[in-house]
Amino acid sequence: MSSHLDLRGVSVSFNGFKALNALNMSVRKGELRCLIGPNGAGKTTALDIICGKVKPSAGTVSFDGTALQDLEEYEIARAGVGRKFQVPSVFRELSVSENLHVARARRTSVLGNLRWNIGNSGREDVERLAELVGLTEQLDRPAAYLSHGQTQWLEIGMLVAQDAELILMDEPTAGMTAQETRKTAELFARLKGRHTLIVVEHDMGFVKAIGDIISVMHMGQMLAEGTAAEVEAHPEVRRAYLGSGGISHA
Amino acid sequence: MPSHVPHSSGLQRLIAQLAPLLIVCAVVFALPVLLNNDFLLNKVARYLVLGILTISLGLSWGFGGILNLGQAMSFGLGSYAMAMTLKLKTVPVHTGASGLPDFMVWNNVAHLPWFWEPFRSLSFAIAAGLIGPALVAAALGWFMFRGRVTGVYVSIITLATMVVINLVIIDQQSYTGGFNGITDLAQLELFGVAFDAYGRATYYLVASCVLLSLLVAFAFTKSKAGLIVQAIRDHESRVRYFGYDVALYQIFVFALSAAIAGLAGMLYTVVMEFASPTFLGVQLSLSVVVWCAVGGRQSLVGAFLGAVLVAGMQGALSESAAFLETWTLVMGALFVLVVLFLPKGLAGLAQAALRWTVQRRQAAGRDVAQGVGQTEGST
Repeated sequence: MSSHLDLRGVSVSFNGFKALNALNMSVRKGELRCLIGPNGAGKTTALDIICGKVKPSAGTVSFDGTALQDLEEYEIARAGVGRKFQVPSVFRELSVSENLHVARARRTSVLGNLRWNIGNSGREDVERLAELVGLTEQLDRPAAYLSHGQTQWLEIGMLVAQDAELILMDEPTAGMTAQETRKTAELFARLKGRHTLIVVEHDMGFVKAIGDIISVMHMGQMLAEGTAAEVEAHPEVRRAYLGSGGISHA
Repeated sequence: MPSHVPHSSGLQRLIAQLAPLLIVCAVVFALPVLLNNDFLLNKVARYLVLGILTISLGLSWGFGGILNLGQAMSFGLGSYAMAMTLKLKTVPVHTGASGLPDFMVWNNVAHLPWFWEPFRSLSFAIAAGLIGPALVAAALGWFMFRGRVTGVYVSIITLATMVVINLVIIDQQSYTGGFNGITDLAQLELFGVAFDAYGRATYYLVASCVLLSLLVAFAFTKSKAGLIVQAIRDHESRVRYFGYDVALYQIFVFALSAAIAGLAGMLYTVVMEFASPTFLGVQLSLSVVVWCAVGGRQSLVGAFLGAVLVAGMQGALSESAAFLETWTLVMGALFVLVVLFLPKGLAGLAQAALRWTVQRRQAAGRDVAQGVGQTEGST
């Protein structure tokens, strides 16, 4: 099995605090990997390292043989990495359809984008995406007027529009109702296989519904990897979550 | 054919968006018919030029989120490019060797400096008036946006750069005319037409440039690149993670805005018949921000009208004895009021009024329909 994404000995520290401490992780192509762990374990930092938001002080990140740690954020995105943020990040003053148009980054150069996009194939694509994330009625509304759950969906839709090979999701169901969470799980199941996904989540029900392999992080290191049952039975995982009511309530 | 439906609705929307722009330009072109006063027409032309300058700021500030407090720098560079070439075309009065400009003779300059030489060509000067400011802006933008400078720091850097260039121009009197600027210019002649500052030809030249600037800026905002620039204004890092090189887009809109401001500067020299360091002064540069905010920075037509209306008012107030000293105070108060109560300026107010009227008409239509339904039910 050749790995698609490989983190080797990645370390980061913020003002002396080691957020990541020689982290190793590898993910296969088409896999849906869930990343869990107690607060402060370094899950979000791990995603930040992959997408280039934070540069590692040591270690390497390779994606399909490309060393990502030396690239700029936009170069990493062009290499096929998409990122959804924990705080929903959309373009509030642009309409839903404009948000999706921007996310369809087929061409990235300034001069290549000086042409008009009236009546091109992008419109159908955007309508299909809006249907996928249930925002057809809102296509012409500014994103600022969407509810929290709808904003989360819009950003997920934007990542599907971007069509990145590797999609990093940071707590995609935060603030969603149970029904919305279930719809999200269905969508992720559909993305699996075509895309490689890494999902940071706290909701264990959601993790069990979507994940093949779960990685548990603790204090900037990888603690355990395996199926939900294996991970829950793991003695060190139990110890890490001790006092916080067990893994299901993290 | 069903596949053509979205296409035509996109076209309809485009026409609806272009309508205010075309109406305003039609009024601008029709004005000389109503105003039979060359002096007044020259004054209006001046305000139209300031309108073009404000469109350029609206493009970088309203759409790109880049508040350039040194927008007058590009304007001034354009005006000097035009003044230099027109100066070299004057019939010499006090000249030295090979038609040296008068102020150089007074400053004991023996030969025309090398950077003046190419301005013997009008085409070079016009190109320089457009490309020069764009290049300066691109260079400045390269340092700022590559270094991820944002917000108020961009404003400080642009303002400071303008002040530096302003001081250099004032200081280098023997090459730039210093504090007096460049005066006693020849008339601009293009394609055999002479553009007298008080003539109709000049007015129509300015009006055509208003139309051109509005259309170029509009086309850019409707392109995908224009959309990406607006996305950068809303959430810079989000755009970066889609694979766009944010700095390049910012540099592009910054340079495009500077080129339009350069065009306005060249026209200003033609209309005013001189170039002066005040054209790239702090006062003008900050006035442009006020005009843009009052008109509505996210509307190109709004920014243009804001400049024409407020600059016109400014002109009228500063001429009357009662407001000679206090008109800047009036302008300041206007700015504060607009920022507090009309964040989208007059354009936002007009849009809200239009929406309100449409909704009221629709509601009235519903009432009538309901009324008909009720009477039918009762009979």
